[in-house]
Order: sequence, then structure tokens, then C-alpha cells
Amino acid sequence: MALYPSQEWCDAWKNAMNNDPACAETGKNWSFDYPGDFLFEIVPGSGLDKTHYLYADIKGGKCLELKMIDDPRNIQPAFYVVGTYGDFKPVVKGEKDFIEGVVRGIFKLRGDTSKIMRNAKFIRAVSASISSFRSEYLGE
Amino acid sequence: MPTIDDFIRPKEWVSDFVTDIGKVLRDWGRDKYLPVRQKIDEDWREHRLVKPLLKEVLVDLGINAAFFPYEVGGTDIPDVCTLVCVLGEEGASIDSGFTVACLCSIWPMLPILLKPHRNMELLNEFGPKYCGDKLYVGCNAMTEPAGGADIENIGRMRGKTIQTTAKLDGDEWVINGHKIWPTNSGETANLYGVVCTTKKGSTDLNDFAFIYVPADAKGVSVGGPYQKAGMAADMNTDVWFDQVRVPKRYRAHGPGEDLKYFREMITYGNLASAAMCLGVMKNVYEIIKKWTTERIVAGKPLKEHSMVAAALSEIAILIEATSAWVHMYARQVDRPDIYGTDPWDEKLALKSRGLAVFASQAVEKVCSTAMDYMGSYGYSREFDLEKHWRDSKMSGLWMGGLGLKHLENARYWYELETL
Repeated sequence: MALYPSQEWCDAWKNAMNNDPACAETGKNWSFDYPGDFLFEIVPGSGLDKTHYLYADIKGGKCLELKMIDDPRNIQPAFYVVGTYGDFKPVVKGEKDFIEGVVRGIFKLRGDTSKIMRNAKFIRAVSASISSFRSEYLGE
Repeated sequence: MPTIDDFIRPKEWVSDFVTDIGKVLRDWGRDKYLPVRQKIDEDWREHRLVKPLLKEVLVDLGINAAFFPYEVGGTDIPDVCTLVCVLGEEGASIDSGFTVACLCSIWPMLPILLKPHRNMELLNEFGPKYCGDKLYVGCNAMTEPAGGADIENIGRMRGKTIQTTAKLDGDEWVINGHKIWPTNSGETANLYGVVCTTKKGSTDLNDFAFIYVPADAKGVSVGGPYQKAGMAADMNTDVWFDQVRVPKRYRAHGPGEDLKYFREMITYGNLASAAMCLGVMKNVYEIIKKWTTERIVAGKPLKEHSMVAAALSEIAILIEATSAWVHMYARQVDRPDIYGTDPWDEKLALKSRGLAVFASQAVEKVCSTAMDYMGSYGYSREFDLEKHWRDSKMSGLWMGGLGLKHLENARYWYELETL
């Protein structure tokens, strides 16, 4: 069981995403003629002591790269998501919905919203894949 | 320099993401719709321009899917009323008639779509069609030749005047009746939500029925489009139901429940209507601001004359007030846990009539005032104001018109007993 967040956890999520037929099917057009990478900023709290950054490069329904990074300044992601560890945890556990969190302003998402709307099924599938494997959490 | 985005919209309730969804629609409209906006009036009969544009918004931009549960292919966006208002506002700043067509596609689905009263059996059947790659359009068939306001006047008429009947025959409803005016009627709709009675002349609220009828069901026929002063992108025709048979499960919920959620649909209609008025007013603000800034009279911009400034002030006040009111009520609908009122509560249906009246009168005032200061230029097609002026008049006429709206608003605030 991987600790969220950690590189081991990133590897597990990448593996889950790439073995999920829903991600493959709904994301087959994702990021072909536009950038589709994500940077997640996980704000401390609820057991997390410092800000963590998680970078995911996703194309055509497949995750090409998923890694923890120390310094996000050299990355210009297509989508930048910010939320607290306390808010991300229920999403990772599958208890709360990521899109609902974005719509309600719990997570801040910067990027081309039209891409999210047009590919909402894919975003749903990706966020569902995050809870398809068991994780451990800080502060619990 | 203030823009339309500086009018009040509570950020505590309307997240950046929902605002961005609205901007997606706005940007699409400015890019794709504005170049043909002046041609839409001539497209009233055929909808050769309108239909592909409907597909772009409802399908390609994912607006249809935004409202449906994830399980049936939707995005399942929460706080539906706020989303409806943002979309209504942004869309109407481009074309209120077109926006009515878009939002009314979803409107009849609300009784089975909204939480916590989702009818998953029907959503499993209709949801994938709405969320698919092809255009699938809904139509809310309420009004009848005998009187539309009477049908919506549930509190007093209690369904007594509904002439469209639904009779259960084995496992099927048999529907007979005649509807007029529904948005997306004619050749546009794929699915009707039909207001019926299971017992003609009854005032028993259990006899009120809301039943879904596919447009291609045997016995459904439509008339030609009405030619109106405006709102050409909103197609209205007569619809006849002659011995139309649909499965028993096509009734939204059942006795008592159909009426309850129909009332919720009315509340949404009032709010969406007001939001669309707001969108029109914002575009008029842009038009009149540009005009009075660039037009030089007596050596200075028109807006620098005190009388004009006072009129411009009034326009801004009406926009600001409408926006605050729209989002306040949308919040009440979306968050019954905070306000303690179920979204289908009669109280919301009645008092949101007041908002609908206010917004429809505000938009008339704003269009007319702007035209006063643009003079004949405002009356000419070139400057787009006259289209808003013609289109938006309808927002005060539909859903029972001014009379019913005032009456129901007064019924709530003054506990009227005889009206």
C-alpha cells in the first residue's frame, strides 16, 4: 500500500490509470492537438507538513509520466490544480468527487475549462482511477 | 475600467470553475454565434443555422452532459441552479432566444434529473441520448390553447383546466391533447415532457401527471413555426398528441410527486428567465457604454452629459440588483441544507415569480433607455440593440406572463386566500 503523496503512490496511480479501460476509451482524444498535462499543488495540513507538487503528463488516455517534483517553477502545465491535503484525501479515498470539488471551489483549477467540459468523461475516469487502489495517508 | 465582469456575482457561491464554464459559452458565442446573430431572425422557419449551433453548444461544449449523472455519461455538476443561471446569463448576452432553446432542452428533464429525486430508470434510458455525440433535444410541453397561465397556476387552479389527458391502459399511458408554444417544438425536439391530467377537470393534485413522450411516437404531430417579433432561435409550434402510447414507466414519478417536482421546474424557469434578462442587460451595457463613449455631442462624449449619465447609472443599478437577486435565489435552491427550504417548496416557486417580474421589467427598461440615447441607431439592426429589445420582451410574457407572476408573488408575501 503506497503512501499518499509519494513517488510510490504516483507509480501506483499511473499503473491504475493505464490499466483502466475507461481512461483509455474516454481519453483517446485527450491532448493530441493541445497540451494536457496537470500539476497538482497539495497544500499542507491534515498530516502533511509542507507543500507537495505532483506532475502528470497524460495523452491519448494514457499517463506518460507521473512524478513528485520539488520545484514547479520550470513547469508550465496546461492545468494547475490547487487544494489542501485534507481536501484531496477524500478524493483519493473515493469518498468525494473531484469535479464536484472543482465546481464548488474546494479545488482551484487553472487551465482551459472548455477542454475539461468537452472531456468531462475522461476527467471523471481519471479521477475515479485515483481511488481504484488502496493508499495510506499522513495524519491517520 | 469596469466591464460586465465587474457586476456583482458572489464568488463565495459561484466558483471560478463555474464562471469559467460560463466564459466558455461566452467565448464560443462571440466566436461562432455573433457572426450570424443578425441572420437568425430570417432563420425562424427552417432553423438551418440554429440547429448546428445547438449541436455545438449542447453536445460539443458538453452543456447537455453537464447536468446528467456520471453513470449515464454525464458530468454531474453540482449546484445545478447556479450553473443554469450562469449559462443563462452568458448565453443570453449573445442571444436570449438561442439560450432559451438550449436551456429548455434540459428543462423537462429536471424532475427526474435533480437530486435527491432522480429517476435512474428513465435516466438510464434518456441520459445516454442526451450525453451522446448526436444532438438530442428536449421540450417542455405545458401550455394549452385554453390558457397557459392556468396550467402553471397550480396553487389555485390545481390542474383543473388541463385538457391533455393521460389514461392508463395496461402497461401504457395513452395521451391525448393539444399543446401550444413549447420551446423546441416543431422539428427540433426529440423528447417531450408533457403536462397531463389523469382525470379531466380534477383538482386533486394526485391527478397531475408529467409524462415523457418521444417525438417520434405514433400519434405525435406538430404544426408550423410561429413567426414572432423576436426570439427566432426559439422554435414554437403547436403539438398534438392523438392516442399516443408510451410505457407506464415514462411518468416522471407518480401521483403527487409529479406536481411537486413540476413546481421545482417552475422555480428553475423563473430563475433562468431572470438570468437571461441579466445577460441581455449586460450586453446592452456594453453596447451603450461604447456608444456613449465614442459619440461626441457638444464637444464631449455623450456619457459626459449629466442627463445621459443618470440614465446610464440606472442601467448599471438594474444590472447589479438583478445579478445579486438571481444568485441569492439560486443559492437558496442549491443549498436547502442552509436555507431549510426544499427546492420544490411552493414558497420558492411563488417568490421567484417576483424575481422573474423584476428582471423582465428591468431588461425592458434597460433596452428602451439605451435605445433612447442611441436614437434611431439603436432602432436599426446594425447595432444589435433592437434584437435584444425585441427578443427580451418575451421573457415577461412566458410562464404565465406578468399577471400570474405578480399574483403568485403576492400570494406568497401577503398570504392571499382568494387569488
